[in-house]
Amino acid sequence: MGLQLKNRYEEVGRELGSLARMKLAMLTKISSAQASELPDSAANMKLIDDAIAQLRKQK
Amino acid sequence: MKISTKLIGLSLGSVVVVAGLAITLVGELRTLSSGYNDLLHGAVRQAEAARVTQVDFKKQVQEWKDILLRGHNPADLAKYTGQFHEQESKVKAEAQALAGAVEDPATKQLLVDFLAADDTLSRKYEAAYTAYVNGKFDFKAADTLVRGQDRPPTDLFDKVVAQLAAQVDGKVAAQEAEAIRQRNTALLVAGGLLLLVSVLGFVVVNGVITRLGRLKAVSDRLAKAEVDGLSIDISGNDEVGEFGQSLKGVAAAIEELLIVVAH
Repeated sequence: MGLQLKNRYEEVGRELGSLARMKLAMLTKISSAQASELPDSAANMKLIDDAIAQLRKQK
Repeated sequence: MKISTKLIGLSLGSVVVVAGLAITLVGELRTLSSGYNDLLHGAVRQAEAARVTQVDFKKQVQEWKDILLRGHNPADLAKYTGQFHEQESKVKAEAQALAGAVEDPATKQLLVDFLAADDTLSRKYEAAYTAYVNGKFDFKAADTLVRGQDRPPTDLFDKVVAQLAAQVDGKVAAQEAEAIRQRNTALLVAGGLLLLVSVLGFVVVNGVITRLGRLKAVSDRLAKAEVDGLSIDISGNDEVGEFGQSLKGVAAAIEELLIVVAH
Protein backbone atom coordinates (compact mmCIF):
# COMPACT_ATOMS: atom_id res chain seq x y z
CA MET A 1 0.00 0.00 0.00
CA GLY A 2 1.42 3.36 -1.06
CA LEU A 3 5.04 2.29 -1.11
CA GLN A 4 5.82 4.11 -4.31
CA LEU A 5 3.91 7.13 -3.11
CA LYS A 6 5.84 7.22 0.14
CA ASN A 7 9.13 6.79 -1.74
CA ARG A 8 8.36 9.88 -3.77
CA TYR A 9 8.43 11.92 -0.55
CA GLU A 10 11.80 10.45 0.38
CA GLU A 11 13.13 11.25 -3.11
CA VAL A 12 11.85 14.82 -2.94
CA GLY A 13 13.41 15.22 0.51
CA ARG A 14 16.77 14.07 -0.79
CA GLU A 15 16.57 16.02 -4.05
CA LEU A 16 14.82 19.24 -3.02
CA GLY A 17 14.96 19.36 0.77
CA SER A 18 12.58 19.18 3.69
CA LEU A 19 10.73 22.35 2.73
CA ALA A 20 9.89 20.74 -0.61
CA ARG A 21 8.42 17.74 1.24
CA MET A 22 6.16 20.10 3.11
CA LYS A 23 5.21 21.86 -0.11
CA LEU A 24 4.53 18.48 -1.75
CA ALA A 25 2.19 17.60 1.10
CA MET A 26 0.49 20.98 0.78
CA LEU A 27 0.06 20.68 -2.99
CA THR A 28 -1.23 17.11 -2.90
CA LYS A 29 -3.04 17.57 0.43
CA ILE A 30 -1.49 14.24 1.42
CA SER A 31 1.30 13.78 3.97
CA SER A 32 3.86 10.95 3.57
CA ALA A 33 2.16 9.14 6.46
CA GLN A 34 -1.17 9.32 4.64
CA ALA A 35 0.52 8.38 1.35
CA SER A 36 1.79 5.14 2.83
CA GLU A 37 -1.81 4.14 3.51
CA LEU A 38 -3.08 5.02 0.03
CA PRO A 39 -2.92 2.66 -2.96
CA ASP A 40 -0.30 3.31 -5.62
CA SER A 41 -2.99 3.92 -8.14
CA ALA A 42 -2.35 5.68 -11.40
CA ALA A 43 -4.41 8.67 -10.26
CA ASN A 44 -2.48 9.02 -6.99
CA MET A 45 0.87 8.62 -8.73
CA LYS A 46 -0.09 11.26 -11.28
CA LEU A 47 -1.15 13.64 -8.47
CA ILE A 48 2.21 13.25 -6.73
CA ASP A 49 4.29 13.38 -9.92
CA ASP A 50 2.52 16.52 -11.16
CA ALA A 51 3.17 18.22 -7.81
CA ILE A 52 6.85 17.14 -7.88
CA ALA A 53 7.18 18.53 -11.42
CA GLN A 54 5.73 21.81 -10.19
CA LEU A 55 8.22 21.91 -7.30
CA ARG A 56 11.10 21.23 -9.63
CA LYS A 57 10.01 24.14 -11.78
CA GLN A 58 9.88 26.41 -8.73
CA LYS A 59 13.40 25.45 -7.71
CA MET B 1 -22.85 26.10 -6.42
CA LYS B 2 -21.05 29.11 -4.94
CA ILE B 3 -22.46 30.63 -1.75
CA SER B 4 -22.52 34.04 -3.43
CA THR B 5 -24.57 32.54 -6.31
CA LYS B 6 -26.96 30.92 -3.82
CA LEU B 7 -27.43 34.18 -1.88
CA ILE B 8 -27.89 36.21 -5.06
CA GLY B 9 -30.36 33.59 -6.30
CA LEU B 10 -32.22 33.71 -3.00
CA SER B 11 -32.38 37.52 -3.09
CA LEU B 12 -33.51 37.57 -6.72
CA GLY B 13 -36.02 34.80 -5.97
CA SER B 14 -37.43 36.84 -3.08
CA VAL B 15 -37.72 39.91 -5.31
CA VAL B 16 -39.45 37.86 -8.01
CA VAL B 17 -41.82 36.35 -5.41
CA VAL B 18 -42.70 39.77 -3.96
CA ALA B 19 -43.14 41.28 -7.43
CA GLY B 20 -45.28 38.32 -8.51
CA LEU B 21 -47.40 38.65 -5.39
CA ALA B 22 -47.82 42.39 -5.96
CA ILE B 23 -48.86 41.85 -9.58
CA THR B 24 -51.26 39.08 -8.55
CA LEU B 25 -52.79 41.25 -5.80
CA VAL B 26 -53.23 44.18 -8.19
CA GLY B 27 -54.94 41.81 -10.64
CA GLU B 28 -57.22 40.47 -7.90
CA LEU B 29 -58.05 44.02 -6.79
CA ARG B 30 -58.91 44.96 -10.37
CA THR B 31 -61.19 41.94 -10.70
CA LEU B 32 -62.85 42.80 -7.39
CA SER B 33 -63.22 46.46 -8.31
CA SER B 34 -64.66 45.49 -11.69
CA GLY B 35 -67.17 43.22 -9.94
CA TYR B 36 -68.34 46.05 -7.66
CA ASN B 37 -68.52 48.43 -10.65
CA ASP B 38 -70.72 45.97 -12.54
CA LEU B 39 -72.89 45.63 -9.44
CA LEU B 40 -73.24 49.41 -9.02
CA HIS B 41 -73.91 50.06 -12.70
CA GLY B 42 -76.24 47.10 -13.09
CA ALA B 43 -78.34 45.70 -10.27
CA VAL B 44 -78.00 48.65 -7.85
CA ARG B 45 -78.87 51.23 -10.51
CA GLN B 46 -81.91 49.17 -11.62
CA ALA B 47 -83.10 48.83 -8.01
CA GLU B 48 -82.76 52.60 -7.54
CA ALA B 49 -84.62 53.25 -10.80
CA ALA B 50 -87.40 50.92 -9.66
CA ARG B 51 -87.79 52.84 -6.37
CA VAL B 52 -87.98 56.13 -8.30
CA THR B 53 -90.69 54.70 -10.58
CA GLN B 54 -92.54 53.36 -7.53
CA VAL B 55 -92.61 56.86 -6.03
CA ASP B 56 -93.59 58.42 -9.38
CA PHE B 57 -96.50 56.00 -9.65
CA LYS B 58 -97.71 57.04 -6.19
CA LYS B 59 -97.39 60.69 -7.27
CA GLN B 60 -99.50 59.89 -10.34
CA VAL B 61 -102.24 58.46 -8.12
CA GLN B 62 -101.94 61.52 -5.87
CA GLU B 63 -102.34 63.82 -8.90
CA TRP B 64 -105.58 61.98 -9.73
CA LYS B 65 -106.86 62.61 -6.22
CA ASP B 66 -105.91 66.30 -6.59
CA ILE B 67 -107.99 66.42 -9.79
CA LEU B 68 -111.01 65.00 -7.96
CA LEU B 69 -110.59 67.25 -4.90
CA ARG B 70 -109.72 70.54 -6.59
CA GLY B 71 -110.79 70.05 -10.22
CA HIS B 72 -113.99 72.02 -9.75
CA ASN B 73 -111.77 75.09 -10.17
CA PRO B 74 -110.87 75.34 -13.93
CA ALA B 75 -107.35 76.56 -13.22
CA ASP B 76 -106.70 73.75 -10.76
CA LEU B 77 -108.29 71.22 -13.13
CA ALA B 78 -105.90 72.24 -15.92
CA LYS B 79 -102.95 72.25 -13.53
CA TYR B 80 -103.56 68.87 -11.92
CA THR B 81 -104.65 67.24 -15.20
CA GLY B 82 -101.34 68.34 -16.78
CA GLN B 83 -99.37 67.09 -13.81
CA PHE B 84 -101.31 63.79 -13.84
CA HIS B 85 -100.54 63.14 -17.53
CA GLU B 86 -96.95 64.17 -16.99
CA GLN B 87 -96.55 61.63 -14.18
CA GLU B 88 -98.42 59.00 -16.20
CA SER B 89 -96.03 59.38 -19.17
CA LYS B 90 -93.05 59.41 -16.86
CA VAL B 91 -94.09 56.20 -15.12
CA LYS B 92 -94.68 54.39 -18.43
CA ALA B 93 -91.33 55.53 -19.86
CA GLU B 94 -89.45 54.56 -16.71
CA ALA B 95 -91.16 51.16 -16.47
CA GLN B 96 -90.46 50.43 -20.16
CA ALA B 97 -86.80 51.42 -19.78
CA LEU B 98 -86.50 49.20 -16.72
CA ALA B 99 -88.19 46.29 -18.52
CA GLY B 100 -85.59 46.63 -21.28
CA ALA B 101 -82.71 46.73 -18.82
CA VAL B 102 -83.44 43.94 -16.34
CA GLU B 103 -82.09 40.48 -17.15
CA ASP B 104 -84.06 38.37 -14.71
CA PRO B 105 -87.00 36.87 -16.69
CA ALA B 106 -89.36 36.85 -13.68
CA THR B 107 -88.73 40.54 -12.96
CA LYS B 108 -89.04 41.39 -16.63
CA GLN B 109 -92.42 39.60 -16.74
CA LEU B 110 -93.61 41.51 -13.67
CA LEU B 111 -92.73 44.77 -15.43
CA VAL B 112 -94.58 43.67 -18.56
CA ASP B 113 -97.60 42.83 -16.37
CA PHE B 114 -97.29 46.20 -14.62
CA LEU B 115 -97.24 48.06 -17.96
CA ALA B 116 -100.37 46.19 -19.05
CA ALA B 117 -102.08 46.91 -15.70
CA ASP B 118 -101.00 50.56 -15.94
CA ASP B 119 -102.52 50.82 -19.45
CA THR B 120 -105.79 49.38 -18.12
CA LEU B 121 -105.69 51.85 -15.22
CA SER B 122 -105.03 54.75 -17.63
CA ARG B 123 -108.15 53.84 -19.63
CA LYS B 124 -110.21 53.70 -16.43
CA TYR B 125 -108.79 57.07 -15.26
CA GLU B 126 -109.73 58.51 -18.68
CA ALA B 127 -113.27 57.24 -18.39
CA ALA B 128 -113.55 58.52 -14.80
CA TYR B 129 -112.12 61.89 -15.85
CA THR B 130 -114.73 62.23 -18.60
CA ALA B 131 -117.46 61.32 -16.11
CA TYR B 132 -116.05 63.82 -13.61
CA VAL B 133 -115.92 66.73 -16.05
CA ASN B 134 -119.28 65.92 -17.68
CA GLY B 135 -120.93 65.21 -14.32
CA LYS B 136 -120.35 68.70 -12.98
CA PHE B 137 -117.30 67.65 -10.99
CA ASP B 138 -119.07 64.94 -9.01
CA PHE B 139 -115.92 63.46 -7.48
CA LYS B 140 -117.81 60.70 -5.69
CA ALA B 141 -119.22 59.29 -8.96
CA ALA B 142 -115.80 59.58 -10.66
CA ASP B 143 -114.04 57.99 -7.72
CA THR B 144 -116.43 55.06 -7.78
CA LEU B 145 -115.22 54.23 -11.32
CA VAL B 146 -111.55 53.92 -10.28
CA ARG B 147 -111.71 53.11 -6.58
CA GLY B 148 -109.16 50.41 -5.76
CA GLN B 149 -108.10 50.15 -9.42
CA ASP B 150 -104.57 51.34 -8.68
CA ARG B 151 -104.04 48.38 -6.34
CA PRO B 152 -103.04 45.73 -8.99
CA PRO B 153 -100.31 47.87 -10.67
CA THR B 154 -99.13 49.03 -7.20
CA ASP B 155 -98.82 45.44 -5.99
CA LEU B 156 -97.03 44.40 -9.20
CA PHE B 157 -94.53 47.19 -8.91
CA ASP B 158 -93.95 46.54 -5.21
CA LYS B 159 -92.96 43.02 -6.26
CA VAL B 160 -90.59 44.43 -8.90
CA VAL B 161 -88.90 46.61 -6.26
CA ALA B 162 -88.70 43.70 -3.81
CA GLN B 163 -87.23 41.36 -6.44
CA LEU B 164 -84.63 43.86 -7.60
CA ALA B 165 -83.66 44.59 -3.97
CA ALA B 166 -83.31 40.85 -3.34
CA GLN B 167 -81.14 40.55 -6.45
CA VAL B 168 -78.90 43.36 -5.20
CA ASP B 169 -78.61 41.67 -1.80
CA GLY B 170 -77.73 38.37 -3.49
CA LYS B 171 -75.14 39.95 -5.76
CA VAL B 172 -73.59 41.92 -2.89
CA ALA B 173 -73.37 38.72 -0.84
CA ALA B 174 -71.78 36.89 -3.81
CA GLN B 175 -69.34 39.76 -4.32
CA GLU B 176 -68.41 39.75 -0.63
CA ALA B 177 -67.92 35.99 -0.75
CA GLU B 178 -65.69 36.42 -3.80
CA ALA B 179 -63.70 39.14 -2.00
CA ILE B 180 -63.21 36.83 0.99
CA ARG B 181 -62.21 33.96 -1.30
CA GLN B 182 -59.68 36.16 -3.12
CA ARG B 183 -58.32 37.47 0.21
CA ASN B 184 -57.90 33.92 1.52
CA THR B 185 -56.25 32.79 -1.72
CA ALA B 186 -53.88 35.76 -1.61
CA LEU B 187 -53.03 35.05 2.04
CA LEU B 188 -52.50 31.36 1.31
CA VAL B 189 -50.29 31.97 -1.73
CA ALA B 190 -48.35 34.76 0.01
CA GLY B 191 -47.91 32.63 3.13
CA GLY B 192 -46.85 29.62 1.08
CA LEU B 193 -44.31 31.59 -0.92
CA LEU B 194 -43.00 33.30 2.21
CA LEU B 195 -42.62 29.90 3.85
CA LEU B 196 -40.84 28.54 0.77
CA VAL B 197 -38.40 31.47 0.67
CA SER B 198 -37.85 31.17 4.45
CA VAL B 199 -37.18 27.42 4.22
CA LEU B 200 -34.81 27.88 1.28
CA GLY B 201 -33.05 30.72 3.11
CA PHE B 202 -32.78 28.61 6.26
CA VAL B 203 -31.40 25.62 4.33
CA VAL B 204 -28.77 27.75 2.58
CA VAL B 205 -27.72 29.71 5.67
CA ASN B 206 -27.82 26.66 7.95
CA GLY B 207 -25.70 24.67 5.48
CA VAL B 208 -23.10 27.42 5.33
CA ILE B 209 -23.06 27.97 9.10
CA THR B 210 -22.75 24.23 9.85
CA ARG B 211 -19.86 23.79 7.44
CA LEU B 212 -18.18 26.98 8.69
CA GLY B 213 -18.44 25.54 12.21
CA ARG B 214 -16.66 22.38 11.05
CA LEU B 215 -14.00 24.51 9.34
CA LYS B 216 -13.46 26.46 12.57
CA ALA B 217 -13.04 23.21 14.51
CA VAL B 218 -10.39 22.09 11.99
CA SER B 219 -8.74 25.50 12.10
CA ASP B 220 -8.65 25.40 15.92
CA ARG B 221 -6.87 21.99 15.85
CA LEU B 222 -4.41 23.18 13.21
CA ALA B 223 -3.65 26.25 15.34
CA LYS B 224 -2.56 23.82 18.06
CA ALA B 225 -0.69 21.61 15.51
CA GLU B 226 -2.98 18.73 16.44
CA VAL B 227 -2.86 16.90 13.12
CA ASP B 228 -2.99 13.32 14.41
CA GLY B 229 -6.24 11.75 13.28
CA LEU B 230 -7.40 15.09 11.92
CA SER B 231 -10.13 14.51 9.35
CA ILE B 232 -11.23 17.34 7.13
CA ASP B 233 -14.49 16.16 5.64
CA ILE B 234 -15.70 19.38 4.05
CA SER B 235 -16.69 18.92 0.43
CA GLY B 236 -18.63 21.03 -2.02
CA ASN B 237 -17.97 23.34 -4.93
CA ASP B 238 -18.57 26.54 -3.01
CA GLU B 239 -16.27 28.88 -1.11
CA VAL B 240 -16.48 26.77 2.08
CA GLY B 241 -15.54 23.62 0.12
CA GLU B 242 -12.57 25.42 -1.45
CA PHE B 243 -11.48 26.66 1.98
CA GLY B 244 -11.76 23.10 3.29
CA GLN B 245 -9.49 21.87 0.48
CA SER B 246 -6.95 24.56 1.34
CA LEU B 247 -7.03 23.49 4.98
CA LYS B 248 -6.39 19.89 3.92
CA GLY B 249 -3.20 21.09 2.27
CA VAL B 250 -2.19 23.04 5.37
CA ALA B 251 -2.92 20.04 7.60
CA ALA B 252 -0.90 17.72 5.35
CA ALA B 253 2.00 20.20 5.33
CA ILE B 254 1.99 20.49 9.13
CA GLU B 255 1.87 16.72 9.45
CA GLU B 256 4.76 16.40 7.00
CA LEU B 257 6.70 19.02 8.93
CA LEU B 258 6.22 17.03 12.11
CA ILE B 259 7.40 13.85 10.33
CA VAL B 260 10.48 15.60 8.96
CA VAL B 261 11.33 17.10 12.35
CA ALA B 262 10.82 13.74 14.03
CA HIS B 263 13.33 12.16 11.69
